[in-house]
Amino acid sequence: MKLTIDVWRQASDETDGRFVSYTVDDAAAEMSLPELLDRLNSQLVEEGEDPIAFDTDCREGICGTCGITVDGIPHGPEPHTPMCRQHLRSFSDGAHIRMEPFRSSAFPVVRDLVVDRSAMDRVVASGGFVSVDAGTAPDADTRQIPFDMAERALDFSACIGCGACIAACPNGSSHLFTGSLLTHLATLPQGKPERGRRARGVVESAEEEFGPCSVYGECAEVCPAGIPLSAISAVNREAARAAVRRNRDD
Amino acid sequence: MSAPAPARPSGSAPVTRAGHRSRFSSVAAKYIMAITGLIFSAYVLVHMIGNLKVYQGPEAFNSYAHWLRNAFYPVLPYEGLLWILRVVLLVSVIAHIVCALILKSRARRARGGARAPSIRRRRGLGLSVFAGRSMLVTGVVLLLFVIFHILDLTTGTSPAAPDGFQAATHESSYAYSNLVDSFSRWPASLIYIVAMLALALHLLHGLVSSVYDLGIGVGSKARNILAAVALLVALVVALGNITIPVAVLTGLIS
Repeated sequence: MKLTIDVWRQASDETDGRFVSYTVDDAAAEMSLPELLDRLNSQLVEEGEDPIAFDTDCREGICGTCGITVDGIPHGPEPHTPMCRQHLRSFSDGAHIRMEPFRSSAFPVVRDLVVDRSAMDRVVASGGFVSVDAGTAPDADTRQIPFDMAERALDFSACIGCGACIAACPNGSSHLFTGSLLTHLATLPQGKPERGRRARGVVESAEEEFGPCSVYGECAEVCPAGIPLSAISAVNREAARAAVRRNRDD
Repeated sequence: MSAPAPARPSGSAPVTRAGHRSRFSSVAAKYIMAITGLIFSAYVLVHMIGNLKVYQGPEAFNSYAHWLRNAFYPVLPYEGLLWILRVVLLVSVIAHIVCALILKSRARRARGGARAPSIRRRRGLGLSVFAGRSMLVTGVVLLLFVIFHILDLTTGTSPAAPDGFQAATHESSYAYSNLVDSFSRWPASLIYIVAMLALALHLLHGLVSSVYDLGIGVGSKARNILAAVALLVALVVALGNITIPVAVLTGLIS
């Protein structure tokens, strides 16, 4: 199939970017979006041009490294699917595809389609982890938890940290990401001793890095991990709980 | 507050942050908006039910208006209940608007300000999405309407109020004739009807949003129920009120 691709080209955060149009004549329906970019890049290298920079790693939807905006939608047309698992069968032959980086103030463009998502790392570093019981893996039966609690924690820990929720949010908010982080750690016994301290640190950091939530619900629509929208309410819940239990770590 | 310092790669450019550094957190602002919003929601529901007494005739409606001024006398002074409501509502509306403006400016900044490219919305533009996206517009419409409404039927200030406006006295109230006089002017009726449609949209998103903002986890099933309840409340309040100017204009009430 023949595709026309408008790709955002930007040398660095300091320079302005613009869309450049390319044509790929030998695209195939079973190609994924990174494979299309690979194909285009070999074409560009053959022609002596600079290849397009884009983030990609596992290409099986579990690492959260990839992420571009396709035709205005973070990751692309297929719902709940990371960019690396989006295929050209979603597009018709002769289609015009627009590819640009994830857009949000918190995500400065590094080059072309690559953005700096370290704002999310700073939120995690502000307490979004478990630092107690960090020795060797304990025996699986040491702490027994109900099955549905384990499932609930797993649902929210499915977040791959790609940042699509933030790119999709008209407010540039990270509530789906922050909420899933807080929920799964607050659900499991290992996370409970630091629950309050974690909420204070993570929410304060998230407010410094991202915007407020208006419950538009766009985030959950693009989330490749299928994090439920209820995650966003955890931000206010955990912050309020930590504020009421002022001096307590748990 | 002993969160570890954020890790920063050495030698990198200074970090620009998209959020805010104010001591007033967005979480607190959203709690204030949710609580004050629920106060308004309860108020407009009760207000609408009271308005429907207009269908019981002039005497019932006027005596209801009179009772509002004398309620719980002598425990409360004359107009005591009204003034308690007025103070609560005034404080709430100021807090609601201030928080809305603070959050809006933070959201704009985080999205990228005027430079932000428009994003295509996965959710389309159905009624609930439209209601969410138009909160600021419907909010401004409601604020202007509340000012008009007070000038029209509370203070009786012209040109908002009808010519024959009669202020309430300690002995009696003229709410019925004031209402009929006001709604007999079709532009006034139109303002009321448009404002009620704005109220319905504002409630539709506001009721759903306030539940999330209060930190209540809503699953996908519960979300559908919540959306249905919000739609029901929004429609009941708006349609209940809209029937009154329509009834006046069609001569059902005179």
